[in-house]
Amino acid sequence: MFLQLTLSGVSQGAIYALIALSLTVVYRSTTIVSFGHGDFVMAGAFLTYVLVVAIGIAFLPASLIAIVAMFLLGVAFSRGLIGPIRGGPHVGLALMSISFGFTLRGIARTVWGREVLPMPRVFDIDPIFIGSVVITGDALFIISIVAVLLVVFFTVLHFTDIGKMVQAVYQSERGARLIGIDVERFHNFSWGLGAALGAVAGVLIAPISLLHPDLGASFLIKGFAAMTLGGFGSLAGAVLGGLLLGVAEQYSGAYIDTTLIDITAYLLIIAVLLIRPRGLFGRKVVVKV
Amino acid sequence: MQTSTGTLSKRRRIFWLVPLIALALPLLTNPYTQFIANAMLIYTLVTLGFSVVIGNLGQLAFANTAFFGIGAYASAIASTNLGLPWLATVPLAGLAGAFGGFLASAAALRGIRLYYLAIVTMAFGELMRWFYTHTGVLTGGTDGLPVSRERDFGLALTSDTVQFYVFLIITCLLVAGTVNLLRSRIGRAIIAVRENEIATASLGIPTSQIIVTAFMWSGFIVGIAGAMFALHTGRVFPESFGLTQLIVNFAMVLVGGLGSVAGAVLGAVALTALPEYVRAFPGMEEIFFGVIVMVVLLVMPKGLASLLARVSPIFQQRYHRD
Amino acid sequence: MTSLLKVEGLSVHFSGLKALDDVSFELEAGQVRAVIGPNGAGKTTLFNAISGYARPTAGSVLLEDTEIVHCSPHLIAEKGLRRTFQNGGLFAALTVLENVMTGLHTQTPGTFFDVLLGRRKAVEAEIEIREKARDLLKLMSMDHMADTPAGDLSGGQQRIVEIVRTVASEPPVLLLDEPAVGLSPVARQQMMEIIKRLSGEKGVGILLIEHAVELVMAAADRILVMAAGARISEGTPEEIRSDKAVLEAYLGHA
Repeated sequence: MFLQLTLSGVSQGAIYALIALSLTVVYRSTTIVSFGHGDFVMAGAFLTYVLVVAIGIAFLPASLIAIVAMFLLGVAFSRGLIGPIRGGPHVGLALMSISFGFTLRGIARTVWGREVLPMPRVFDIDPIFIGSVVITGDALFIISIVAVLLVVFFTVLHFTDIGKMVQAVYQSERGARLIGIDVERFHNFSWGLGAALGAVAGVLIAPISLLHPDLGASFLIKGFAAMTLGGFGSLAGAVLGGLLLGVAEQYSGAYIDTTLIDITAYLLIIAVLLIRPRGLFGRKVVVKV
Repeated sequence: MQTSTGTLSKRRRIFWLVPLIALALPLLTNPYTQFIANAMLIYTLVTLGFSVVIGNLGQLAFANTAFFGIGAYASAIASTNLGLPWLATVPLAGLAGAFGGFLASAAALRGIRLYYLAIVTMAFGELMRWFYTHTGVLTGGTDGLPVSRERDFGLALTSDTVQFYVFLIITCLLVAGTVNLLRSRIGRAIIAVRENEIATASLGIPTSQIIVTAFMWSGFIVGIAGAMFALHTGRVFPESFGLTQLIVNFAMVLVGGLGSVAGAVLGAVALTALPEYVRAFPGMEEIFFGVIVMVVLLVMPKGLASLLARVSPIFQQRYHRD
Repeated sequence: MTSLLKVEGLSVHFSGLKALDDVSFELEAGQVRAVIGPNGAGKTTLFNAISGYARPTAGSVLLEDTEIVHCSPHLIAEKGLRRTFQNGGLFAALTVLENVMTGLHTQTPGTFFDVLLGRRKAVEAEIEIREKARDLLKLMSMDHMADTPAGDLSGGQQRIVEIVRTVASEPPVLLLDEPAVGLSPVARQQMMEIIKRLSGEKGVGILLIEHAVELVMAAADRILVMAAGARISEGTPEEIRSDKAVLEAYLGHA
C-alpha cells in the first residue's frame, strides 16, 4: 500500500515537478512569476488533443508540434506583452501574465464549449507487477519522459555556455549586459522555454486525465506549491518540491481524508511561507532594507 | 497648478451629485437594468477595497475574492443558521471580511511580499473555496446557501428597487469613509509604506499598524459587498469566489486606475455594464476581460482615472513611480 | 548638563564580521558631530544601530536618559531621534507638501474612527498640519514646489525636502547620512547653512556622515573618525586635521 502510494505520488509529482521547473526557468531568468502558466499547460494539452482527434495526426508528432507552438507563443508573449511594461510595477507584470492565461482559457472554452473531453488512449503499455506493487504504463511513461528531460535540462545548464549565460543573467542583469549578452533575447527565449516545458506537462497529462479549459488553474497552484516547497528560484528545489508534493497528496488522501488531496498544495504553500519562507533550497527571502 | 485646499474641498462636493442622480435611476429603468445597477454598486465596493490594497498600499495580495466570499458566506450563514434579518448580517459580514484582511496582513508582516504574497493569498482564497464546498453542514456545499429576503426591518428587500436604495446608501457611506481615510494622514502613510517602508518608519509611523489597517479596511468593505452580493443573488455558491472572480476584480481596478477612488467606481460601473452582452457565448467573457486588462496595461496603465485627472486635479492619483 | 544622546560600547557583529565595534560618544544639544572615515568604516552601520535598523550585539544608546537600543525604528523616531537616508527617502508619488506632512504624522491628533467619520477634530488637525508643513517649506524657500510630486524634484531639492520632512516634528536629535552627496557647490553651501541654523537656532543635536571635507570642517563642532568598524580618533576639527592616526587611516586605504 505504502509503496503503491509512493509510486503514484512520484508519477503525479513528476508532472508537478515539470510545471514548477518551467515556472522557475521563467522566474530565474526574468524575475517574473508567470501567473498564467497553468494555462500554458492547458494550451499544450489542448493543442495536442486538437491535433490528434480533430486533425488525426499521430500522438508523437502532434505533441512535438504542440510543444514547438507553445515555445513560439511564449516568445511572442514575452516580446509583445511583457517587454513593453518590463520596468513597471510588479502588479502590472503579474496581471499581464494572468490575463494572457485567462484569454487562452477563454479561447479554449469558445472552441471546446462546456464539455469535458477524454483523449483516446495513446500507449497501451501493460502494467508491470513487482510483488504487490502495480506500475501502470502511464506512470512508467510519465516518469521516464520527465527523468530524461531533467537529465538533458541539467546537463545543458551545468555544462554548456547557455547554462553560464543563465547564471550570468540571474546574478546581475546589468553585468550580463556589459559582457555582451542580449538580455532581451534571453528573456524571450526563457519565456519560450518555460511555455514549452509547461506544454510538455500538458502533453503528459492529456492522455491520462479529462481535459477541460479550467485544468490549468489547479496545476498552477501545484506548481507554486512545489516551487515554494523547494525554494523559490532553485531549479533542483522545484523538481524535488514537485515530487514531494505528489507523494504528500497521495499520503494525505489515503491516510487522512480523500478530500484533502485537493488542498494539500494550498496548505503546503501557507505552511512553508509562514514557517520557512525560503523553502528547502531557496535563498533567504530578504525584504530589501 | 496651485490649488488651495479650500476650493478643492468645495469642488469635491460635486461628487455628491453622483448618488443624487443615481437616486432617480430606478424610475427610468426596467427590472433587468435595475438588477445590473445593483451589481454595479456591489462591484464598486469590491473594486475599491481591492484598489486600497494593491493600488494605495502597493501589496500584491490576491485575497480580494476571499474577502468577498467570506462576507457573502458570513451573511448567508447568519441568515440561514441564525435566522437574522439581512440588514443585521451586514456588519457581521464586514467584520468577517476584516478578519480575513487581518489574516492576509499577517502574511505581509511575516515578510512575505510581492509574488510570495500573491501566491499565499491566492492559496488562501482557494482554501476558503474548498472550505465552502466541503463543510456542507454550515455552508450548504455545492448546493449553495440561501439568504432570506423576507425577514427585514420593514423593508421590502425582495424588490430590486428597494435593494438598490439600500445598496446605494451603504455604498455611499463606505466610499465616503474610504475617501476620508485616504485623504488623511493614514492615507498618506499607506502610500508612504508603498513608496518606501524604511523611510516611513523613520518618521515615527508604525508601518505594521498601517499595513494591518489598510488590509482590514479593504476586507471590511469587500466583506460588506459580499453580503450585498448574497442578497442580490439570493443564494451563494462556492464557484462565485474563484479565480474568475479575481480576474474580473483585477480588470475593474485596472480599467478604473489603481489607487483612485473615482477610478474604482468608474471601472466597476463600466465593466459590470459591458459583459452582459458577451456572456451569451462560453469563453467570450474570459477573452473579454483578459484582453481588456492586457490592452489597458499596454496603452493606458493609469486607467480611466488618468483621463479624469486631465480634466481636474481632484482626480489626481498617486501611482507607483519606482 | 546631561547629554542628549549617549552611545556606549555600541557593537554590531555578524558571523565574525565586526561591522561596528565598541563605539562610544556623546552628543549635546546644539552640537554638530561629524562621523568620517573611509568607505566600509561602519558609519552607516553606526547610524542604523542607533536608529533601530540594525540590531546591536552589545552596547547602549541613551536618548535623553532613556535606553532605546532595542526599540523598533518607528518607536525611536517617535521618541525624538530622526534620520535621513543616504540614497534619499522621499515618497516619490506624494507631493512635496504631503511628504512634509508625513513627517508630522505622529503629531496629528485623531484616531482611526475620527478620521473615518470625518469628525471635526480630524479635519481641523489635517488643516493645521497642512499649514504647518507649508510654513516649514516657506522657511526653506521651497513653498513654490509644494504641490509638485517629490519624484519630479532635482537631487538637491530632494535632499532639502527630506531634511524639512525629518525635522518637521522638531526632533531633539537628527542623524544626517551624507546630506551633501551629489549636490552642486551652491546647494552644498545652502545645505551647510541649513545644518548650522538647525543646531544654532533650534538647538538640535546633529550627527552627520559626510565625505565633503570642507563641509565637515566648517559645520562640525566635533569629529568622530572611524575605520574598520572602530573609532580611531575623536576631537575638534583642528585636532583631527593634525592627527596622525587619521591621516594613516585615510592614506592607508587610499
